[in-house]
Amino acid sequence: MRTDEMRNDIPKTSFWRRQMSGVRDFGKGIFDKIKAIYEKRKLQINLIIILLLLVFPYLARSNYIMGIACRMLMYSVLAGSLNVINGYSGQFNIGHAGFFLIGAYTEAIFATQFGISFWPLLAVSGAFAAIVGFLISLPTLRLRGIYLAIVTLGFSEILRVIALNWSSVTGGAMGIKSIPSPTFFGMTISNSSNYYYIFLFIAILFLAVTGRVLKSRVGRAWISIREDEAAARSLGVETRFYKSINFMYGAFWAGVAGAAFAPYYRFIASDMFTLDEGFNILSMVIIGGQGTLVGPLVGSIIVNLITEVFRFAARYRMVVYATLIIVMMWWRPQGLVGAYDSVFAIKKSQRKPVRMASAKEAGEE
Amino acid sequence: MMGEVILEAKEICKYFGGLKAVEKVDMQVEKGDIFGIIGPNGAGKTTFFNICSGIYQPTSGDILFNGESIINQRPEHIAKKGMARTFQNIKLFKNMSVLENIKIGFHNRTKTTMFDAIIRNKKYRVDEEVIVREGIAILEKVGLSEYRDTLAGNMAYGLQRRVEIARALALDPQIILLDEPAAGMNPMETHALMTFIQNINKEGYTIVVIEHDMKFIMSMANKVLVLNFGQKIAEGTPEQVKQDEEVIVAYFGKGLDLGGGH
Amino acid sequence: MEYFIAQIVNGLAQGSIYALMAIGYSVVVGVVGLVTFTHGEVIMLGAYASYYAFTFVGENIFLGIIAAFFASWFIGIFVYKICYERFFDSPRHISLICTIGMSMLLKNLAQIVFGPNMKAMPQPIALNFVNVLGVRINTIQILIIFVVLSLSLGLYIVNNKTQWGIRLRAVSQDKQASALMGINVRRTAMIGNSIGCSLGGVAGMLIAIYYQSILPTMGGSLGLKAFSSAVLGGLTEASASALGGLLIGLIENLGTSVLSNSYRDVFAFIFLVLVLIIKPEGFSKKVGG
Repeated sequence: MRTDEMRNDIPKTSFWRRQMSGVRDFGKGIFDKIKAIYEKRKLQINLIIILLLLVFPYLARSNYIMGIACRMLMYSVLAGSLNVINGYSGQFNIGHAGFFLIGAYTEAIFATQFGISFWPLLAVSGAFAAIVGFLISLPTLRLRGIYLAIVTLGFSEILRVIALNWSSVTGGAMGIKSIPSPTFFGMTISNSSNYYYIFLFIAILFLAVTGRVLKSRVGRAWISIREDEAAARSLGVETRFYKSINFMYGAFWAGVAGAAFAPYYRFIASDMFTLDEGFNILSMVIIGGQGTLVGPLVGSIIVNLITEVFRFAARYRMVVYATLIIVMMWWRPQGLVGAYDSVFAIKKSQRKPVRMASAKEAGEE
Repeated sequence: MMGEVILEAKEICKYFGGLKAVEKVDMQVEKGDIFGIIGPNGAGKTTFFNICSGIYQPTSGDILFNGESIINQRPEHIAKKGMARTFQNIKLFKNMSVLENIKIGFHNRTKTTMFDAIIRNKKYRVDEEVIVREGIAILEKVGLSEYRDTLAGNMAYGLQRRVEIARALALDPQIILLDEPAAGMNPMETHALMTFIQNINKEGYTIVVIEHDMKFIMSMANKVLVLNFGQKIAEGTPEQVKQDEEVIVAYFGKGLDLGGGH
Repeated sequence: MEYFIAQIVNGLAQGSIYALMAIGYSVVVGVVGLVTFTHGEVIMLGAYASYYAFTFVGENIFLGIIAAFFASWFIGIFVYKICYERFFDSPRHISLICTIGMSMLLKNLAQIVFGPNMKAMPQPIALNFVNVLGVRINTIQILIIFVVLSLSLGLYIVNNKTQWGIRLRAVSQDKQASALMGINVRRTAMIGNSIGCSLGGVAGMLIAIYYQSILPTMGGSLGLKAFSSAVLGGLTEASASALGGLLIGLIENLGTSVLSNSYRDVFAFIFLVLVLIIKPEGFSKKVGG
C-alpha cells in the first residue's frame, strides 16, 4: 500500500478513535478496585451476597420481579456454561440453545411419560446434553473454530427440527404441556418466588463448581488451549481430550438449566429453542465478557433488563441485542468486565489500520 | 557422558508438494550433548525440529526417542515421553502470568481430574502444592523470581525466551529442543543465555539447539549438524565442521571469518 | 423411475442455486480472508430486492436480477465496513462475532420492515413443461440453470481476463504481498466481498422464484447450506464449492423422497459433517477462513 493512501486512511478513523478512547478506558480502574476488594474479603462478601439473594423474595414481594430474577439466574447459568466453552477453551459454540433444548425435553419427557421426580432428572438431563455435546465435538476436534461454530449452529437447528417433527415423543408442534412442578419435602414449588430458590441453587452450584474446575489442572489446560494450542500440545496437554471434556462440561450445565426451565414454564415447544435463542445466550456472554466468571452474570442481568425495558416493543428486542453485539465488538470486544490483557481484547498493535494479515497467516491452524 | 543415543533421526525426508524441505537427514544425539543444528535461513532446520517433536509427519524416515519410534505420534504424547521444546516465534501464554505459564508445564506430572478439583480432595491439594513449590523453584533457578506475577506478554523479549525455557523445564524432560533461542537478543543477552543453557546442560538435560549465530553454536555445542537446502552437509565437533570444505564453500562462502558471527 | 429422474432434475436445479450461493460464499471468504455468518441474510435481502422490483416495477427477470445484484452489492459494502474493515489484524473471532451480530440485525430488521410473514413471490416467467431428451423439465428450472451458468461464466471471465480479476486473485492469495505490489487491498477486498454478496443475492431471487415464496427468516438455513457447500472447496475454492452445492441439492431431493419433507434441512448438515470427517480441508490447495 502506498504511503499517501496510508495517510488518507488514518485521519478518517482516528476521529472516532479519539472519541472512543476515553469511553474505552471507562471502568478500567473501577473494575480493578472492585476485584481487589473482593479478593481480600472473598468469604465475607460471598456470604453477604448469598444472604441477600436468599431473602430477596421477601424484599421484592412481587411475582413479576421474581419472574425476572428467575430468568436472570437461569440465563446466567446458560451464558456461564457457554462461556466455559467460548471464553475459557477458545472453542466457538453458537448453538447453545441445542443443549438447552436437550435438557428441557429430557426433563419434560421423563417427567410426563414416566413420572420421574424433578431432582434426579436435573442430573440426567445434564448428562444427556453432555453426551450430545461429546458427539458434536467429535467431528470437529481436528478443525479450526469456524467449523465447530457452524456444526453447533447446524446441530442446534437440526435438534429443533427433530423436536418439531418427532411428534410421538416430543409432541411435535403442540409441544409438551402440563409438565409437573417439582416438589421439595412434600411442598410443591410452582410460583416464581419459590422457583427462584431452585434457580438460585443451580446458579450458585454452577459458579462454585466452575470456579474450582477453572482453578485446577483441568481449567488451566482449557485456558492454555485458548491461548496457544501448539504450545499447549508441546507441553503435553492432550488438546482433543480437553476440548471434548470442555464441550461436555458446558453442555451439561445448559442441560441442567433446560431441565429446570421446563417445569418452571410447565410447557415447552420447539420454537422456544430457535437459533435466535442461541444468539441471545451468546450476546449475554459477549456483552458481559468472555473468559471471566462474572461476565456472563453481568451480561444476563443487562440483557434481561433490556428485554423488560423493551417489552412494549418486543420485536425490536433482537435488533437491540444485535446492535449491542456489534457495538461491543467495536468498542470493547473483551466485554464489559473483560480484562484489557485478554485474548478477547484488541491490542494496540492490532488497531493499526494499514497492516494486513496475510492470507497465509489467516489460514494457520 | 558417553555413548547412549537418546534421539535419533534416520533418513528423514519432508516434502511440501514439490518442495524438498528436508532430504535424507540423519542425526544422533547422545545423552548429555549440547547438539547444535546450523544452516542458513530456509535450510529446513525448523521443519526438521517440527518433525522431531511431532508437529509434522515426515514423508519418509524414522525418529527414535530412547530407541522407540515416535513417528505418527501426536506432539502431546511425545512431550509426555520426555521431550520439551521452545518455538522460534515465542509461543508463550501471553495473557497469563509467568507462574501460570510454568504451571501448565506441570500438566503431565500431575493427575488431578475434574472430580478431584470439584471436591478439592487430597490429590488436588497435594498436586497444587507441588506445582507451586516446584514452579517457584524453577523460577528461582532461571532467575525470574521477581517476575512471578508479571504477564508473560508484557516482558522483555530476552526474558520471554527464558520463560519459555523455564516452562519446558517444568515438564522435567530428558531432552529439550531450543528453536533459535538467541534470535532477536543483544550480545549481552545472548551471552547470558549461553551460560544459562550450559548450566541446565550440566544438570543433566540433553539439549538440541537450532541457531544461525555461528559463534553461539561453535562456542557451546559439543556436536554440530549443518543443513543446507534441506540436506545434511556436515556433522561433527565444532572444530571438524569449521574445517569442512563443503561447509565453507556452500554455507559460509569464501573468505568469511568463521569466528565472527553470521 | 420417472419419479426418480424428476427428483434428479429438481435436485440439479435447486443444487445449481446452492452452487451460486456457495460460489458467492467462497469468493467472500477467499478475498476477505475472514469467515462470514451474514451470507444467508444477504441472500434473503437479494430476494426481497427482486420481490419489490417485480411488485412495483414489473415482472421482468432481468430487472429482478439487476435489483438483487445491486441491492446485495451495497449490503456487501455495508457489511464490509461494519464487520471486516477494522478487524483484519484483530483476533479472528471478533469479526466473526460481528458478522453474527450483523446477521441478527439484518434478519430482525427485515422482519420489521418487510413483515414477518411469508409472501408469495411473483413469477417473472410462465411455468411450462418442456421435454428435453425424454426428461420433463419446467421453464423455471431452465431459467435457474441458465442464470447460474451465465453468472458463473461472468465471474470466471472477470477473474481470469480482467485487471480486477488479477487484483482479486492476488489479494485472496496474499494480502501483504499484494499491498507491497501497490494494490489497494482494502478496496479490492471490499469489491470482492460485494461480488460474492451479489452472487448470493441473485441466488436468493432464484430460490424465492423456485419456492414461489419469500420469508425474512429464509436466510438461516440457506446460509448454512452455502457454508456446507463451500466446505467442499475448503471455503475458498469456487469450483469445488459449486460442486458441493449441486451435491447438496441432489442429496436433499433424493433424501426427501425417502424421508419426510420436513427433514429437508437435515441433509445439508449431514453432508457438512461427512465432509468434515472424510476430508476436512476440502478440495483446495489453500486453506481459507
